[in-house]
Amino acid sequence: MEELATGVREVLADRGIEIGEVRLNRIPGGASRETWLAEADGGGWVLRRDPKGTVSLVPLADEYTLISRAADAGVAVPKPLAFEPDGGRFGSPGLLMAHVDGTSVAPRILRKPEFEPARARLPEQLGEALARIHAIDPASLDGVLPQPAGDPALVQVSEWERQLDEIGEPLPTVELGLRWLRANAPEPAEPRLVHGDFRLGNFIVDERGLAAVIDWELAHLGDPIEDIGWLCIRSWRFGNDDRPVAGVGGLEDFAPAYEAAGGSPIDPDRVRYWEVFGNVKWAVICARQAHDHLTGARRSHELASLGRRIGEPEWDLLQLMRGCSAGEAEEQAVS
Amino acid sequence: MMLDRPTAAELLDSVAEYLFAELRPEVSREQRFKVLVAANVCAVVAREVRAGDEPDREDLALFGELLGGEVDDPRAAAAKLAERIRSGELDDRIDELAPRLEEHVRRKLDIARPGYADG
Repeated sequence: MEELATGVREVLADRGIEIGEVRLNRIPGGASRETWLAEADGGGWVLRRDPKGTVSLVPLADEYTLISRAADAGVAVPKPLAFEPDGGRFGSPGLLMAHVDGTSVAPRILRKPEFEPARARLPEQLGEALARIHAIDPASLDGVLPQPAGDPALVQVSEWERQLDEIGEPLPTVELGLRWLRANAPEPAEPRLVHGDFRLGNFIVDERGLAAVIDWELAHLGDPIEDIGWLCIRSWRFGNDDRPVAGVGGLEDFAPAYEAAGGSPIDPDRVRYWEVFGNVKWAVICARQAHDHLTGARRSHELASLGRRIGEPEWDLLQLMRGCSAGEAEEQAVS
Repeated sequence: MMLDRPTAAELLDSVAEYLFAELRPEVSREQRFKVLVAANVCAVVAREVRAGDEPDREDLALFGELLGGEVDDPRAAAAKLAERIRSGELDDRIDELAPRLEEHVRRKLDIARPGYADG
């Protein structure tokens, strides 16, 4: 940890930020990456670092580029300061960013009285931020994110099917969801930048609302509505089941801001499709986290417990599929 | 299973109560969520112990019916069903399979997250 503190001090010094003693504290959460808070008299920074020996979907070097592009597009993000490769001054690959005041802890955002004004503004702010993300020219991401090799929906379905195969957990309900997604894919979308993990928990919120969109490691080019379906799945409502948008609002609060900021009109059927997908994806992520515990890659009772939460997205995806065939589709998507 | 009281489930209840009511308010904010997760894990296992082998037997019967043959291990049967679904051979039965798998998922939730399926 002493080495890491020295690395942070040196990297900041390169950027003309001279600080004395750095205090490093590991921030809990951040399931697949280490997050460190670096504090000194001169300010605060956040270091995101790959744990040794892990492979991330979007390398941190590319995450650095993505966050920079998002900042240029007017999306609230933590200002990216530096990237160090494997064997660099952060040890493993690491990304140093400015610290953003606020909290990303969902129950606090949803329940604390001081966030009441923030909750009222969030659906609109999220709509605007997501539209700006989706407006980023995919051509500007050449060499960072590959074009999907075919229909963006089917490419994502194959990707998460592949991830499930890596784990080898027998989940008939998830398999049924995957088949349903193959059979019901919408018209292929023009690929845009998809954040990939745009949901409560990855929004830093202060009293005025959205302060930063974080955690870009699942970003890819694909159907932009994928982000809206993921945002709305029941797991990310944290108990506020009747408010699909981050547990604070409805699509009717989100859509006008999204469309006003340049987003394409939102088709509720397409949102529902991506909600089914989102539940499949969350089920696979839960299985993967539990698997990481079981294999010993990362022993943790928190990860282990996620293995028993797979039933939640499984239940939700079955309800969404049923709503579809029973013609209750619209009602479910906008309720 | 031991004959002595407390039973396994009762012991887990006692640990869950300690973690949730006594320890949780005492620890740092960073640790509080982890303690809550630990308490919840104890509660899940207590429910599983109380349910006995009934959910497994019901799953076995369901998977056997869906696979149209004898099965003797629920996990192996789930794997077989997962494989059959993946192969596409059950694609024309998706609407029929969904409500049946709902029964299986409801059993999981009754242990892991009671009430979720009714919310």
